[in-house]
Amino acid sequence: MRRIGYVVAAAWQGFWRNPVMSVASTLTVAVMLLLFAFFVMTDRGLQAAVGVLESKVELVVYLEDDAKPTDVLELRRRIENDPAVEAVAYISKEQALERLKEIARRRPELALEDVTTNPLPNSLEVKLASAQETRRVSGMLREEVGKGVIYDLVDNPTVVDKLLTITRVLSIGGLAVLGMMLFVALFVIVNTIRIAVHARRDEIEIMKLVGATDWFVRWPFIVEGMLVGVFGAIVALAAIAAVAGPVASSLVGFLDIVPVSLGPNFIAQLAAGLIGFALLVGGAGATFSVRTHLAK
Amino acid sequence: MLIALDDVSKQYPNGTEALRDIDLRIDAGEFVFIVGSSGAGKSTLNRLLIREELPSSGSVVIDGTDVVRMKRSQVPFLRRKIGVVFQDFKLLPNKTVAENVAFALIVTDHPARAVREETERALALVNLTQRRTHFPRELSGGEQQRTAIARALVNRPRILIADEPTGNLDPVTTWEIIKLLIRVRELGTTLLISTHNAEIVNALRQRVLHLDHGAIVRDERQGRYAA
Repeated sequence: MRRIGYVVAAAWQGFWRNPVMSVASTLTVAVMLLLFAFFVMTDRGLQAAVGVLESKVELVVYLEDDAKPTDVLELRRRIENDPAVEAVAYISKEQALERLKEIARRRPELALEDVTTNPLPNSLEVKLASAQETRRVSGMLREEVGKGVIYDLVDNPTVVDKLLTITRVLSIGGLAVLGMMLFVALFVIVNTIRIAVHARRDEIEIMKLVGATDWFVRWPFIVEGMLVGVFGAIVALAAIAAVAGPVASSLVGFLDIVPVSLGPNFIAQLAAGLIGFALLVGGAGATFSVRTHLAK
Repeated sequence: MLIALDDVSKQYPNGTEALRDIDLRIDAGEFVFIVGSSGAGKSTLNRLLIREELPSSGSVVIDGTDVVRMKRSQVPFLRRKIGVVFQDFKLLPNKTVAENVAFALIVTDHPARAVREETERALALVNLTQRRTHFPRELSGGEQQRTAIARALVNRPRILIADEPTGNLDPVTTWEIIKLLIRVRELGTTLLISTHNAEIVNALRQRVLHLDHGAIVRDERQGRYAA
């Protein structure tokens, strides 16, 4: 216990011995963590958006009026057996007309009273389990258009495709930016600790002379690096807390459509993740610095 | 046998031959002056004993431990057996007398109670109890050196190495320090004192090791500064 007390006290002193450098490195870590948090949250939002859109992905297969019921059933069975397909629903001409009339009732500019014959085809609505498979399934069905059963095919996977692309680009770009920030943060921490070691070189000399163990000499610096990390995490979390309210309210519309959960659970996970990451970066940077500058 | 050097040579990477074929035995409780001109190898010898340097060849055994072959992790425990005092005191300026002395115990992981008691004992030994809350800059040279001696002794080492301990002090203060060192020796600590002060060496008539160009040229039981 006394060892821990000594180490923490020495680390605390070390942090404040050179406040400008310590605060600068703390802010660097905070900026890195803010970027990290931003990417985590953006990624989470995009994943949720992709999920929502994926759940709405449907192919609509319009059927020939004179297709034989057995052929239709056979087609339905074949589609249902595809692993990428979640469900297939048969919508008859009459059901389709009912739906259209329902929509028309809510939109007075459309008048359907004149309709005497039903121009709508029977159809199969195919719900897919995964957006990535849309192309393959629609391609397979498109080959059968005009061969007696399928009259036409409607698919609209482009929105999901675009979103998947954005997610991928953001992930890669985000990782690259984060990697650079991580490098900068490590560089600053390594230098902060190098300066701290330099500032205490007389003390270190005496410690070694009177027989302090290597770890007794090193731990205060490593803990100082961790302090830089934790303070950085606190600054980052405070900044997030400050902007969370306004940002959330400006996103209300978006959040209604996309069920991004930013509940207490997620916040706790994010905070724990940031602090853990910060401890790791601070500790690793300091350890590297101490190993380099305290060798001998 | 507390200290035993056999066939010890030390060459620095730049080619300087600091020590040549040193054979040396020092028993527990001895009082040894190491004399010789600057660059004769006195400091190198001291650094070998606390394993700040390793010999190029030969063996160094202290208190039964082979210093050359010992693991790096064991070095701190060797150093707790050896107190070191320097010409320039090497006190920490932002710590008081008592804090400077206690520092040696704190960083070697002693419990708080032992730190308090042993610090007081060491301060009493060097007669600085009254000055315990002063900072080094508020002390005379002699008081600073006494603080350094208290710090070197507070771990109760078996050996005290003093490298020019009176080099920065006036004659009166020098004798004050020497008397203190004699008392330390009487309490059972082995003393190795490197010095250029002929007057002291000649007055005390203790064992004298004379180093010249890295070799022991004279080793007398009750020696003088010059042959």
